[in-house]
Amino acid sequence: MHAPQNLSALARKIGRTPAETQLWEEFLGKLFAAEGAQEEAALTSTLRSLAEELEEEPLAAKIAALAAELPEFPATRVFQLALKACGEKRREQEETLSHLRQMLAELATPIIRIWTDMLLVAMIGNIDSQRAQDIAERLLNRVSSTRAKVVIVDVTGVPMIDTVVGGFLIEMFNATRLLGAEVILTGIKPEVAHTLVKLGVDFQTVSIARDLEDALRRGIALTMEETRKRRELALSLAKSGVGENDERGAF
Amino acid sequence: MDLEKLEAILASQSHEFDVVVRIAKEEDIAVARQMAKKLAQEMGFSLADTTKVATAVSELARNIYRYAQQGRIMLRKKEEGKSGPSMEIIAADQGPGIPDVELVLTKGYTTYERSLGIGLSGVKRLMDSFAIYSAPGRGTVVVAEKRRRRF
Repeated sequence: MHAPQNLSALARKIGRTPAETQLWEEFLGKLFAAEGAQEEAALTSTLRSLAEELEEEPLAAKIAALAAELPEFPATRVFQLALKACGEKRREQEETLSHLRQMLAELATPIIRIWTDMLLVAMIGNIDSQRAQDIAERLLNRVSSTRAKVVIVDVTGVPMIDTVVGGFLIEMFNATRLLGAEVILTGIKPEVAHTLVKLGVDFQTVSIARDLEDALRRGIALTMEETRKRRELALSLAKSGVGENDERGAF
Repeated sequence: MDLEKLEAILASQSHEFDVVVRIAKEEDIAVARQMAKKLAQEMGFSLADTTKVATAVSELARNIYRYAQQGRIMLRKKEEGKSGPSMEIIAADQGPGIPDVELVLTKGYTTYERSLGIGLSGVKRLMDSFAIYSAPGRGTVVVAEKRRRRF
């Protein structure tokens, strides 16, 4: 059994900041107090705080230094516990990370109705397969529920388009067209354009607009054209009297 | 000859390179791409060439993740005499290997369901030099290089 002042002196020697010294003192105190299963959990949590205070590498170095100082220091056990503590810390970080990623996916791709029968998808940031899947699903649902006729996809905020992102965009465009909406792609930057051509990704199935203004103008023209055609059809049907017959038949 | 080269590159040490990224998860692809972009910017590549380098690294990292599950992307600066500085990109894995290298370089060839099949041939076109060494069961190594152009 060690005298407490002995341990605090050691803790002061090892620790570089007051907070760290206190943690070491706590740790050493617990380590040389009574043993047991309960003790293990307490030791792990102190080690965890130490791992947060320090980085993993200095922590390992300091444990090794302690083992050199104290002959009866149970280095193997402490390292085991330290590894466990670091593992816990990492798991928690990973959890936070996946949580953040989920939040990002929700935040990052707004689908906006910018005009009658027209949706705008503003893509921002790097797109991985998870996000791609998410965007495509949400867009297709929106297209089908709003009965949109034109979808403008703006990729100004996408820094890089590789074959995977390109393939995903092509897939999404084809699916959107299957739902009966036209797709207008805009926002391809010069450096991305060159890379896409070199890669051999082409977007032949969709119309491409120079910028959002151009895309909007084209979209409006498309929807107006559609409305005009419909009106003409309705008029010609009314003239020939087909509409009235149809209506009577329907009821 | 190719096999020797393959083994030599697979055995190369991390400290010989400026950047080494281990690929094991999908997120690592984005990390590799980011590091390549940073290195290209540091070396003074033009915006277009930086994008090309980042795209090529992204494709190569994706191939590692898809077909070999894990491997390494290694980047290094090369300061060479008359052709000027360049960046060397090595993608190395100990995956299943490629039986017919010529075939995978054909545009449109893919064994992966949802893929355009233009990745590797695309990388070849994006880079100034490109070499691939592979042996079934041993792994695959791609060595590519991009020179810095002055404008």
